[in-house]
Amino acid sequence: MTDMEVEISPAQIEALQLSPSLSPASTFSCPSSPGSSSSSCSDCSLHCHNHQHDSSSSPRSSSPSGCSSGCSSGCSSGSSSGGMRGCSPPLDLCEDPAVNLDLVIDPEVALKACHDVLQKVKLLKVDEEPEMLEKCPLRRQLPNGTIYLESCDAALIKEEEQDVPSDLSQQTKLACQQPCNKSSIEEEEEDEVCALPRHTPCDTGLIKEEEEDDDEEKEKPHPPRQTTRRCPHARQPSNDQSLAAAKQSLLLRLFESKLFDVSMAISYLYKSKEPGVQAYIGNRLFSFPDDEVDFHLPQLLNMYVHMDEDMGDAIRPYVVHRCRRSIAFSLQTAWLLGAYSSDMHISTQRHSRGTKLRKLILSDELKPHAACKGASPTDTGCPGLRDCTRIHHHHHQRHTGEPGPVPDGHTVPADAFLSPSKRTHQRSKSDATHCTSLGASLKRTASSPKVECGYDEPLRLTPQREFIKSLMGIGKRLATLPTKEQKTQRLISELSLLNHKLPDRVWLPTAAFDHHVVRVPHTQAVVLNSKDKAPYIIYVEVLECESFEASGVPVRIPETRIRSARSADNLLPESVAITAEHRAGSFSTVPNYDNDDEAWAVDDIGELQVELPEGHTSSSDNISQFSVDSITSTESKEPIFIAAGDIRRRLSENLAHTPTTFRRDPEDPSAVALKEPWEEKVRRIREGSPYGHLPYWRLLSVIVKCGDDLRQELLAFQVLSQLQSIWEQERVPLWIKPYKILVMSSDSGMIEPVLNAVSLHQVRKQSQLTLLDYFLQEHGSYTTEAFLTAQRNFVQSCAGYSLICYLLQVKDRHNGNILLDSEGHIIHIDFGFILSSSPRNLGFETSAFKLTSEFVDVMGGLDGDMFNYYKMLMLQGLIAARKHMEKVVQIVEIMQQGSHLPCFHGSSTIRSLKERFHMSLTEEQLQVLVEQMVDGSMRSITTKLYDGFQYFTNGIM
Amino acid sequence: MSQLEKKAGLLRRTSSSKKPLKEKVVLMYDEIFVKDDPAKTNPRFWDELFLMKVNLEYLETKLESLDGDEVMKTKDNVNSLFHHCVQTLAEEHQIKVVNALQTLCALFRGVHQKNKSASGFDIINMLMGFDKAELRMKDLMESLDSLLCGEGSESLKALCLKLLLCLVTVTDNISQNTILEYVMINSIFEAILQILSDVSNRGRHGYDAVVLLALLVNYRKYESVNPYIVKLSIMDDEPTLDGMGLVVGQALTEYNRQYKDKEEENLGGFFSTLTSMVGSMFIADADEKLSVQTNEAILLALYEAVHLNRNFITVLAQSHPEIDIPTTPTTPISTTPTTPLGTTPPSTDVMNSSELPLDPNLQTSNLLITFLKYSSIVMQDTKDEHRLNSARLCLIILTCIAEDQYADAFLHDDNMNFRVNLHRMPMRHRKKAAEKNVPSRPLVCAVLDLMVEFIVTHMMKDFPMDLYMRCVQVIHKLICYQKKCRIRLHYTWRELWSALINLLKFLLSNETVLLAKHNIFHLALLVVNLFNMFITYGDTFLPTSNSYDELYYEIVRMHQVFDNLYCMVLRVSTNAGQWKEPASKVTHSLVNVRAIINHFNPKIESYAAVNHISQLSEDQVLEVVRSNYDTLTLKLQDGLDQYERYSEQPKEAAFFKDLVRSISLNVRKNVSLTTLSQDVLLKEFSTIS
Repeated sequence: MTDMEVEISPAQIEALQLSPSLSPASTFSCPSSPGSSSSSCSDCSLHCHNHQHDSSSSPRSSSPSGCSSGCSSGCSSGSSSGGMRGCSPPLDLCEDPAVNLDLVIDPEVALKACHDVLQKVKLLKVDEEPEMLEKCPLRRQLPNGTIYLESCDAALIKEEEQDVPSDLSQQTKLACQQPCNKSSIEEEEEDEVCALPRHTPCDTGLIKEEEEDDDEEKEKPHPPRQTTRRCPHARQPSNDQSLAAAKQSLLLRLFESKLFDVSMAISYLYKSKEPGVQAYIGNRLFSFPDDEVDFHLPQLLNMYVHMDEDMGDAIRPYVVHRCRRSIAFSLQTAWLLGAYSSDMHISTQRHSRGTKLRKLILSDELKPHAACKGASPTDTGCPGLRDCTRIHHHHHQRHTGEPGPVPDGHTVPADAFLSPSKRTHQRSKSDATHCTSLGASLKRTASSPKVECGYDEPLRLTPQREFIKSLMGIGKRLATLPTKEQKTQRLISELSLLNHKLPDRVWLPTAAFDHHVVRVPHTQAVVLNSKDKAPYIIYVEVLECESFEASGVPVRIPETRIRSARSADNLLPESVAITAEHRAGSFSTVPNYDNDDEAWAVDDIGELQVELPEGHTSSSDNISQFSVDSITSTESKEPIFIAAGDIRRRLSENLAHTPTTFRRDPEDPSAVALKEPWEEKVRRIREGSPYGHLPYWRLLSVIVKCGDDLRQELLAFQVLSQLQSIWEQERVPLWIKPYKILVMSSDSGMIEPVLNAVSLHQVRKQSQLTLLDYFLQEHGSYTTEAFLTAQRNFVQSCAGYSLICYLLQVKDRHNGNILLDSEGHIIHIDFGFILSSSPRNLGFETSAFKLTSEFVDVMGGLDGDMFNYYKMLMLQGLIAARKHMEKVVQIVEIMQQGSHLPCFHGSSTIRSLKERFHMSLTEEQLQVLVEQMVDGSMRSITTKLYDGFQYFTNGIM
Repeated sequence: MSQLEKKAGLLRRTSSSKKPLKEKVVLMYDEIFVKDDPAKTNPRFWDELFLMKVNLEYLETKLESLDGDEVMKTKDNVNSLFHHCVQTLAEEHQIKVVNALQTLCALFRGVHQKNKSASGFDIINMLMGFDKAELRMKDLMESLDSLLCGEGSESLKALCLKLLLCLVTVTDNISQNTILEYVMINSIFEAILQILSDVSNRGRHGYDAVVLLALLVNYRKYESVNPYIVKLSIMDDEPTLDGMGLVVGQALTEYNRQYKDKEEENLGGFFSTLTSMVGSMFIADADEKLSVQTNEAILLALYEAVHLNRNFITVLAQSHPEIDIPTTPTTPISTTPTTPLGTTPPSTDVMNSSELPLDPNLQTSNLLITFLKYSSIVMQDTKDEHRLNSARLCLIILTCIAEDQYADAFLHDDNMNFRVNLHRMPMRHRKKAAEKNVPSRPLVCAVLDLMVEFIVTHMMKDFPMDLYMRCVQVIHKLICYQKKCRIRLHYTWRELWSALINLLKFLLSNETVLLAKHNIFHLALLVVNLFNMFITYGDTFLPTSNSYDELYYEIVRMHQVFDNLYCMVLRVSTNAGQWKEPASKVTHSLVNVRAIINHFNPKIESYAAVNHISQLSEDQVLEVVRSNYDTLTLKLQDGLDQYERYSEQPKEAAFFKDLVRSISLNVRKNVSLTTLSQDVLLKEFSTIS
């Protein structure tokens, strides 16, 4: 480990040495700390506490043997079990603690934590310097309750700056608990870890302060109870901890390494039974970019709901923290919690954990810490920003004993710091400076526990919930109507109502950018094909904005305004106002072949009779209000002749050139709507919208599903996304299109529609062509570039989805569930039957995936290059997927926890899934396997049977 | 409603009543018309008067019976009565307010009935006195405004609206009602809007408010600046516009429903009537039974909204489920006595209820659909004056709609498909059924259907030339839009073509009769130009290439009609006479049609000859057409896609004047204040106080 220390620049070291300030509030205990080297897993908490305290004075030297396997867990056991529990219940710094605590903290946990504290105190009394004790009164000034480190230690720092600048040394010692427990790190990673000691990610621990604290004796030093993992300090060479640091476990080093990503974190979180590790990772979550964690949110929440207490405690702070910061996250979490809790028995305690958190979120208690008045864009962004030096810098200041505000302190409102967007590890310069002001504000608030927020946001979540509720309500009501047509009509009128009372601040959760929904163009909505449910697709006009929560809500423009926006006269499209001259020009003027002079006689006379100057004729076009009577006057000019054949030809050409549209079919209203090219639709809707002229106007669409469980879809989306990124990483040009899924409850949700795509069923029914002919019609003949591109797209997507279908055992593959987009890709939808479940278990679809002769025809036949390319792609894809199997399996495996989803039916789901990756086969064997699968699928009689079955039962072609 | 009748009624009533003695209130009225100043002897006279139940009939009759000298004698007292009425309106005592409102009504009516010939100034002088008039009316309007907008009793609001309707309709010609000048100055517009925008108010008073507005807008429409026109035209408040649309929609729906009920009632008798009428041109008897009194007032309101207010167009397309429940007083009839005030069921207001009623049979509808259905009923029978006017107004409204680009946009919106079950005139040669299966189509198809339906059903001796002109113009405007915006409507154009050709045929065969009354060449020109639109611009809006062939097929098939028309117009245009000019225009417009006929006919004949077929099938003709396009040259005609925009003045001014007059009469007849049963009011107010 020494080499590690060497890596640290002197400046850093100095900074680190000076840094103790960070700790004061918080002892660095943590999973990491003592363990690494030492204690077997069985270490009891007591033991651990000892360690901790010891560590401050004496080098840590427990058994260096350190179980190689127990590794992860080995470490922190004790300390963390105490500390971890400690850190879990988040407390509001400024809010009335009484309100929150009841909701947040499990009394049992609290009690136990309290007990731990007492014990620690006893130990401390023996070992610690007096400063420790001095700190107590200070601590008591804090409003009781758990505090996020971010706010908390900032606050404390400030306090200390002002009041107790003396207790440095003690802090230093405390600060240096080693957060490292590792032993199971792979060798390869070690180097990296050593080379790049990472300071920041670990300062995420939560300080916990129980309400009981207040009741305890004054002498009780609280800090030890608090856990913060601040790795950097581990490497202070000058410290006692240096030794311990040397014994950092490999696992910790892995955790600190760059390679440690969310996926691994989730994996370790899931696998580790050691509360310390769980807690550590729970804290570590804070350091990952939001969107990366969001991807694994279902796993996280499923673990929260279904796994043990410690897991819940590890995850909870992060979730609560995120909820505070974002309305969208809050709602999504609440929805997922609801959905994943639904499988449990009502009476179970675990159940109540999920539902309790859900209730808490929905009760809207989890507001940003203070007002978010100061939530400026700078506060919000850059999740990845880790500015350690700032922290150190700050500490340095402290060390030199500057009690006052930081010299370079910006004058930032105190509450700016409290903006929900803050994260501990993101201490940018501004953060550091804010700390001081926060301290001030804390002092103020400490005396009067009721903090004036001066900010009331009565309905944070309500508008959106109402919005979603009404969408779901519509779906439910539609389901009762018998025909598609009635459904569609009702949908339109329901949406028109909704449009009227659209709440102010709502958004579409599937969108990739922040926005406000301004209008639902109700006439565009259609009901999708479904036998007994009524899923429907709506288009939603939104205005993009900086931040959903901070940006102002757009002004409502009444529907009628469209009139003023576009005057009737301007309405005519440019191309449309073709005057007679233009028109004549566009036709070839032809001689009058018709020998029937009589027909022209009158005209000729007219021409002869009235002769007007040329100039006059052109002006006639500009007379806007031309009465029909004006024909006589126009006779004056040279007559323009046009060939009837031209008109007819033009008509056919125009018709041919317009993109092929589908016939309107009352039984399949969505076909036309989905076939319309997206750009076209956007343009059309934009023209008709009173908001259309705004620069940030965007059109989104979403499928609202009511009565369907989308949890499997979500799982499939995750697996698909994971595989997609794996293939991208491995540079295999497989094409798949995971579409976003939003689970809102166990029987409702939203789906992001695949744009410019219609189902194969619709293609066949509307075009009455084979797939190949349809390709030729849409893209051009065999040799055209357009066709070849489309064909390549088809092959790449086919290969991608063949693998997906095989790996996930996607069933119910009738043509209504396979889309074809305008570029030739196929996209499989509806993952209602995956893994262990299949429709009614009829035993149809026994082949590995669906590969019909039609598909093969599009690929150019069995002997074609493209078909070989297809097989090659599958092989490459399988090899790549195999390499990262864990990432994929883990997603599924975690979701199996406590789930009653049909896809997990039986006990062998995961085993079979793993088997399908064929880890044991050589690449040659794999190739044979692919050949076999392709061959088998192509010849599969069951595929044909199933298609036939679908045709007869559901009319799906 | 002559004075004599009224008196007689009054006498009979008093004699039959149990009280042989004159009521106290009557005595007090007498005092007003006899004494110098009733307050002199009894300082509390006025207070007491308004506590008495009003005897409207007596008061009105008394006023009517005054002649010149007496008028001058009692003028001060009448002024005083008016003054005290207005003062009382501001009082809290609701009974007094009610009585004052009713007394005011009697005053307006009585004075006007007496002085039908008198100038407006005399009336004002008699009621209020010249010097005080402005102040009095200002007070009156302000009181009414606050009563209407306030939280007060529903009955009071209803009464206020009745008073206003009464005031607005006291003269036959609204523009001669000089008192309205004060209503112009002291606008009640905002109060009307508030009623329309508020759900519960709209349910109860919406109908009256809309009628009142429609009438006020027509006060001196063409002579001066009417603030109501200005305000209505710039109104852009969505809830209010929606509210107005709902009131109109409900009234029209109610009419449609009543008609349907009657139709079903008569269905049994209908067939027997029909069979008994074989050979008879007149099926009016049967229709009469079906006739439900049309509601021009509400139609006028719709027209004014569509014509004046750009924003109202959007309301037309606002979809809501079809409401079949009668919710508001919809026809003037229903404002009559039988509806006790305050007992109107709360309106099921669709736009504001949080959830739509869930009934699979409930069709989604909108104001435009309701209006189209209404029009289809009204247009069935145009024999009586009222219905003719209604049909004309419907067509005018459709003209306005067809001209509006936004309306056109949603008419042609491919995503807004509706089933519109238009009512079809029962005709001997076609079945009435088979309508239920109308497919769901863009709304413009329904409009075109309606026009086609009109064209084929009104070729009668008493030719409604004016309506035909409007009808063909509506079609033309729609096609112009389609051509401009390149919208290829999947409509069975063939029906339209054959309807138009039949129309030409009818014009030809009735030439002499029709020419005596109408300029048939104008209509013929419009029709031929519609064909020219299809011929020269068909490529821009026809849905399929086959449809262009079919157009030629239709023209060639019916070539005789065009030939005859050509002969006729050529004949007329060569003769000197009043029709020379218009007829020659038609001759010119026939150029392309004749070119087509002359081009294809020989080809078809030779095809038949070559193939030895006597009768070519349609497919064969189409084949010939298709293969011979290239040698046909057409002449490009100018201005085909241009039209004269609708303008109310000066062309329609007379029509609207008459219409408003008839509406005024109708409303006056139906606004009867005596009907406000005092009992109901008393009951209501006794609980309040």
